Amino acid sequence: MYGKTVTTRKRILSAVWALVVNVVFWIVIPYYVGVFLAGRVPESALTVPSFVYEFGILFIILEVGAAFFQGKAVAVPMISGVALLTVVYIWYATNGGILGVETAGITIALSFRILLYVLVLPSVWAAIRAPLAYMVWRNAMKAELSTSPSAV
Amino acid sequence: MQVKRKTPRGIWVLRGVTVAIVLVVLLVVGTVAYSAYEDYSAIRAELAGGSQQASGAAVIRGSTETVSLNITVPNSGLYPLNVTLTCDYPTANVVCQRTSVNVPPGQEGVLRFKMTVSNVSQFESSADRVINGTVAISMTPFVGLTVGTDFGGFVKSGGG
Repeated sequence: MYGKTVTTRKRILSAVWALVVNVVFWIVIPYYVGVFLAGRVPESALTVPSFVYEFGILFIILEVGAAFFQGKAVAVPMISGVALLTVVYIWYATNGGILGVETAGITIALSFRILLYVLVLPSVWAAIRAPLAYMVWRNAMKAELSTSPSAV
Repeated sequence: MQVKRKTPRGIWVLRGVTVAIVLVVLLVVGTVAYSAYEDYSAIRAELAGGSQQASGAAVIRGSTETVSLNITVPNSGLYPLNVTLTCDYPTANVVCQRTSVNVPPGQEGVLRFKMTVSNVSQFESSADRVINGTVAISMTPFVGLTVGTDFGGFVKSGGG
């Protein structure tokens, strides 16, 4: 990713694509799911919580920024930011791996914190990997320049 | 003309770690889902099918009723299964033994639960015949399910 030359046209197209995909995923789908739930089960408290939209806006900003600045150093904190935000979102959405419901005098609690640690592992790694990958590419390019200055 | 660069070795290492992590996650999630489905099916068949492997008795001596349950817990999954029954105190006149069984994968365990209700006629005539109990099923170490329910239904009605 960091070793390739990216044109401005490609940056804009990537950013627009990221915008469209993320708006659909974080705004349009949750909105219609909310409308569906409200229509089907009006008495129920089932709704799409507002934090989905709040997280969605942050995801959209970071994803679009990362797509636009791809290949540049400024994209690294955005990629890591998306990954860390994913961890926070999963943790928040699952109440830290402890979900409970009470109905007809029966209390049901599901606890899956260790499984949650496993589930967030790829996102944690993605947050660590982004700066590492940038450093590896930068060092490789520096080494390339020092060994053969005519190569670039 | 764009310069084609060779991918550095460090990037291949990072990709390798990514693939390893994804494989571990898929393996864990897959085996947990499979075990949960298998355990759920086996326990449901045990409870719904009227299996001979679950038995219970309610014995009344004087004014004291003793409820005994022997439940065979099958583990068809891939992870150890722990099942625990407890009563939530304080409940008047009721004494429960906290009982627990650990079932290794592919084996069966027997859960022996005993509950004693003293002065059973008073318990039955009381407005609140509720014995709060908890059934905890955990697929060690990943998932635990706790169900809080009323154990009052185990007490034999009519005082004999």
